[in-house]
Amino acid sequence: MTRRSTRLAVAEVLAWWVALGGLWLAFINAVDTLELAVGAGAAGVAALAARAARRAVTGP
Amino acid sequence: MADPVVVVALLLVAGSATLAVAVRDPVRQALVLSVLGVVLAVLFTVLQAPDVGLSQLAVGSAVTPLLLLLTVRKVRRRGQRKGRER
Amino acid sequence: MNGWLLAAAVTLGGGLTATLWGVTTGPLGRRVVAQNLATAVACPGLLLLSQAYERPAYVDLALVLAVLGPVGTLVFARLLSDELTGHPPRAWWPTWTAAALGTAVVLALCAVTAPGRATVKLLVTGALLVGGNVVAGRALTGGIRGVRGG
Repeated sequence: MTRRSTRLAVAEVLAWWVALGGLWLAFINAVDTLELAVGAGAAGVAALAARAARRAVTGP
Repeated sequence: MADPVVVVALLLVAGSATLAVAVRDPVRQALVLSVLGVVLAVLFTVLQAPDVGLSQLAVGSAVTPLLLLLTVRKVRRRGQRKGRER
Repeated sequence: MNGWLLAAAVTLGGGLTATLWGVTTGPLGRRVVAQNLATAVACPGLLLLSQAYERPAYVDLALVLAVLGPVGTLVFARLLSDELTGHPPRAWWPTWTAAALGTAVVLALCAVTAPGRATVKLLVTGALLVGGNVVAGRALTGGIRGVRGG
C-alpha cells in the first residue's frame, strides 16, 4: 500500500464520516454532548462499512 | 372505532391476509405476504403503536420474503436433483 | 377528522387496494411491480399520518420503510431473475406515478412544517423513497445487472 492510496482511503472514510454524522445530527431530537459522542462513534463504524460496501460494488 | 382510517386499515389487513391464503404458488404468496407486512405496519401506526409498526416493518418488508424465497429455491433444487437421479 | 387524516385514508385505501389487486392477479412480472408499488404508496401514507396525528416521531416509520422497502423488492428481483428475464415487466407508468405522489406529499409537508431539522428529515425521506423506487424499478425491468452499472 503506497502513501498515496493510504491518504485516499483516509480521505474517503473521513468524507463518509462527515456525511453520515450530518445525517445523524439531522435525525436526532435534541442535540447534547452524549448524542454527539454516540453519533460520532456510530458514524465512524458506518463510514468504514460504507467504504467496504462501495469497494464491493465498484471495485477498489 | 369511529375512526375511518382504522376501518380502512382493518379492511386492508383482512383483504390482504385472505388473499395471501388464497394464492397457491409459494413464490407469489411471498409477494402478497410482503404487502401484508406493510399493511400491518400501517394498521399498528393507526392504532397508535408505532414501535410495534417499526419492528413489523424491519422484519416483514425484507427478511420474511428473503427467507421464504431461499427456502423455495432450496426445495426446488433438491427436487430437481432427485428427479435426475431417478 | 382533519384534512391530513382524510388525505392519508384516501391514499392508503386507494393505493393499497390497487396494489393488492395487482399483486394477486396477472403474470409474475406485474405482481413484482405491484409489490414495489406497496412501498411507494404506504410511505407517503405514513408521512400524512404523522402530520395528521401531529407526532413528528412517526416520520421514522416512513424513513425505515423508504430504506427497507426497495431492499425487499431487490430481493425479489435477484431471486426471481430467472423467471423475470423471459418477460421483463414494464414498470415505468406506475413507478413514476408513485414517485410523483411521494414528491407531492413531501413538498406539501415541508410547506407546513417550520423550516429546520424536521424539514431536512422529510427531504431525506423523500429522496430515499424516490431514489429507492427508481432503482428497484430499474432492477425489475432491466435485470439486476442494470443497477450495478456494468
